[in-house]
Order: sequence, then C-alpha cells, then structure tokens
Amino acid sequence: MTPRRGPLTLLPPLSGLLAGGVLWEGVSRTADAAFLPPLTEVLTRLAELTADGKILPSLLSSVINLVLGLAISLTLGLTLGTLMGRYRPAEAALGIYMYALLTAPSLVFAPVFFSLFGPGRTSIVAVVVMYSLFVIVITTASAVRDVPAQLLEMGRVYGAGERQLLFRVVLPAALPMAMAGIRLGVGRAVAGMINGEMFIAVVGLGQILTEAGGSFDSTTVLAVLLVVVTVALIAIGITHWADRRLNGWLPETSRT
Amino acid sequence: MIEIKNLTKRFPDRRGGTVHALSEVDLTIADNEFVTVLGPSGCGKTTLLRAIAGLTGWDEGGILVDGEPVRAPGPERAMVFQNFALLPWATALDNVAFGLELRGEPRGRRHATARELIGLVGLDGFEDRLPGELSGGMQQRVGLARALAVQPRVLLMDEPFGALDEQTRRILQEELLTIWERRRLTVVFITHSIEEAVLLGDRVVLMSPRPGRIAETVPVDIPRPRSFDLHGLGRTEEFTTLTTHLWERLRTMHPDRVGAHR
Repeated sequence: MTPRRGPLTLLPPLSGLLAGGVLWEGVSRTADAAFLPPLTEVLTRLAELTADGKILPSLLSSVINLVLGLAISLTLGLTLGTLMGRYRPAEAALGIYMYALLTAPSLVFAPVFFSLFGPGRTSIVAVVVMYSLFVIVITTASAVRDVPAQLLEMGRVYGAGERQLLFRVVLPAALPMAMAGIRLGVGRAVAGMINGEMFIAVVGLGQILTEAGGSFDSTTVLAVLLVVVTVALIAIGITHWADRRLNGWLPETSRT
Repeated sequence: MIEIKNLTKRFPDRRGGTVHALSEVDLTIADNEFVTVLGPSGCGKTTLLRAIAGLTGWDEGGILVDGEPVRAPGPERAMVFQNFALLPWATALDNVAFGLELRGEPRGRRHATARELIGLVGLDGFEDRLPGELSGGMQQRVGLARALAVQPRVLLMDEPFGALDEQTRRILQEELLTIWERRRLTVVFITHSIEEAVLLGDRVVLMSPRPGRIAETVPVDIPRPRSFDLHGLGRTEEFTTLTTHLWERLRTMHPDRVGAHR
C-alpha cells in the first residue's frame, strides 16, 4: 500500500532546493541589488545570530505563541465548524461572522487586541487565532455538511443517538476534509505569529525582524525569514503526519 | 408481523402542487415471510421501506411492527442499503460489529458475534480489510452481516444488489436465500428486477407510480429451496408465467412508454 521510500524520493525536493539556492545566489551576485544579499551571506549571518544566542530564545518564544494560538484555533474551530455544519440555526447565527472575519484582513484587529490585552503574549496569541481560526471553522462546517446522507441514515437505523452519530459517524467522516482546512490554518497561524510579533509586542523573531528592518539590514531580515519559513514547514509537516495517522484509511489517490 | 394500513405520504412539488409518494398503501407481511416489492422508479417503493425503517414520516395511516407503532428506527428492524453505507475507515469486522457497538456491547463479545457472521457471509480472512479494499459484492456481504449481527426480526433491503454486476448479483441472491432458509426472519426486499423479485419472494408486491400505490400482489408458489443453477428455475413454466405477467403490468406503467398508446 505505502509507496517504497528509497533515496530517490528525496531527489526531487533536494534538487528543487539546490536550484532555488543557486538562482538566489546568481541573481543577487549579478544584479548587485542592495536589498537582496546572496544566500551565502544570509546563511553566514544566520550562523552568527545563532552563535550570539539571539535566535534560539526568540524562536522558542515565537513557537510558544504559535502552539498556544493553534491549540485555541483547533479546539474552537472544530467545535464551531461542527455546530455550523450540523445544526442549521448555528449556521444561520454564526455563518455571517465567520465569513466576514475570514475575508477581513486579520491584522486590523491588532490594535483592538493591543488595547484589550496589552503588549504581552495574550495579544500575539489572539492574532494567531484571528489568522487561523476562520478557515478551520468554514472548512470543518462544509466537511460536516458533506458527510453522505446514507451514512447518517445507516447510523440512525442501527440505533445511534445524536451523540453517537456525531462521534461515530459524522466526525470521522468529516475529518479528511476538515484536515485540509487545518493545514491552511497552520500556514496562516505562522503568518499571524510573525505579524503579531512585529506589530504588537516587539518580541520573539518579530523583534529581530523589526529591528533589522528598521536599520535596512536585509541580510538579517532574510536570515530570520529562513527561520520562520522553516517553522512553517515543520508545522505543516506535523499536520501532514497527523493527517496520515488519522486518515490512513483514505486511498492514496484521493489525497489532496 | 408488519401491518401497513392506509399509508399515505405527500410532498409539495416545485410547481406548488402535491405529489403522492404513497397513496393508501395497505400491506400485511407475516412473520418469516419474504416479500419483494417491485416497481418502476418513482413508484414510492423506497419511500415505503424507509417508512417501515422509521427513517421518514407520513401523512396518513400507520405502520405496526409486531403490534407496536413505528415512530423511529428500532432494534427489531435492520436495513441493508443499496450503496452499502459502510464506514470507510472501519475494518470489515468493525463494520459488522457497528450496530452492536452502538448498543454498548463490549468489544470482545461484539467481535465474537461479528466473526461468526463474517463466516456466515463467506468473508473469512477478510476481517481486517477496509471497505475500499473489498469488491462491491464483498462490501454488500459486510452490509448483510452487519444487519444480521443485531439479530433483527425484520430485515429491510433497499435494492441491495442493484449496484452489483449480474454475476455477483446472482451469487448473492442465492446466498441470501441460503442464509434466509437457515435463520428465518421477515424480509422486505425492494427491487426493480422482475427476475429477482420472483426468485426471492414468497409474494411480489407490484407498485405503480404517481401516486405510489400497490397495483397487485402476486403470490409466488415456486417450491423452496430455490436456486437458478440447481433447478433451472429460470426455465420453469411457473417462473416464466410470473415474470411475463409482471412485465406486462410494468411496461404499461413505465414512464418511458411515451406515446405508445397513440
């Protein structure tokens, strides 16, 4: 069932990375653009920053913001999404807010959180939630709505009450599609984390970014950006792993 | 015993009119009787079955199962679905045990029962397969085993072999008969296949569309056990007479017979 993983499966992503790096290095050296330092310089700066002990503590602080925000988004998002997908009044009452907040630029709420929670961790976590919650709610709601009616009837015929129907039929059936929303939410949460740290409380990786940006130090900005992208990729990797564990029954061909 | 009295179900159509899905349906089904319900699409046969199952309501009349009025699904009725309706994430064994799981039977006991039924439907060795890894015929065997696992007195079958190819269908028809001979129970079997209705049923209930009503009830006096292969049933005179008669009736009510009377 599972495809064989030989050394060859790593070849395409690695050659992709290598080509990107070569392109970056080449463009930067030939164009001589002031704000596009070569990759080698950026990597050197990253090593320096790490050695100075600047990256790791900030990274830890940022990751805590991310994890807290995502935990809240997942709990709230799956709950609200399930309610909206299964119960029409919940959809009618909440739907408009969810769609409005999904489309609204999430950062405009930063001042609100700032005034409510002050410049601390709470505000940043709130921004992370703001970025990631609504896509999870809306995908979960439509995943729950799309559960085949026949499975629900089957559940009822065999005596399932609403609670059993929800936990034994609806949620497992909706999970694969809900997972797609969760993956999107995780990506947006990383963006929320870094924006929150740049615009509200100047802490974590956002602090290094803001300071470096203020002094036009694009080498440092790009070095930190590499760290942020890595965090995002790891977070999405964990989501994929969870997806495979939970939805292993799905045939490989119907995966997104 | 199932007593259906004056069952009428209407719903509004898109042009503001009323469609009679079922109109004054009267039908009594004895214990351990195998009744097949035959009719063209739109004749309300599936609605009738869903009403007996307690999945849908009606406007007039009523249904009694063993004297108890039907209001919701109940443990004495089990159903086999046209598209199998298996849980795609659960193994064959867990699917068969699902009804028992909902009733709160402990894992060991429900798995023991499920294993026995997996054997009965000929799926030994496939306990741990997921539905997606099974053929359509095997999936419906799981569906049948799941229904039998809850020990129903009434088995409701909604065109259970309609999604299967001809050869698989014949094999499953014979196995269903074999199982039914061994553990007698009341069966209501919906089909649009004339041959299937006659092969399986003690009686064929013929329904006509718009409004959905019972056009005729035809007793099938072909001795059991029946089988296509062993007795050449398809070539016997009784079988041919019955199927020819039912086809004559059906063709006059078929919706595609446009302008045939001109």
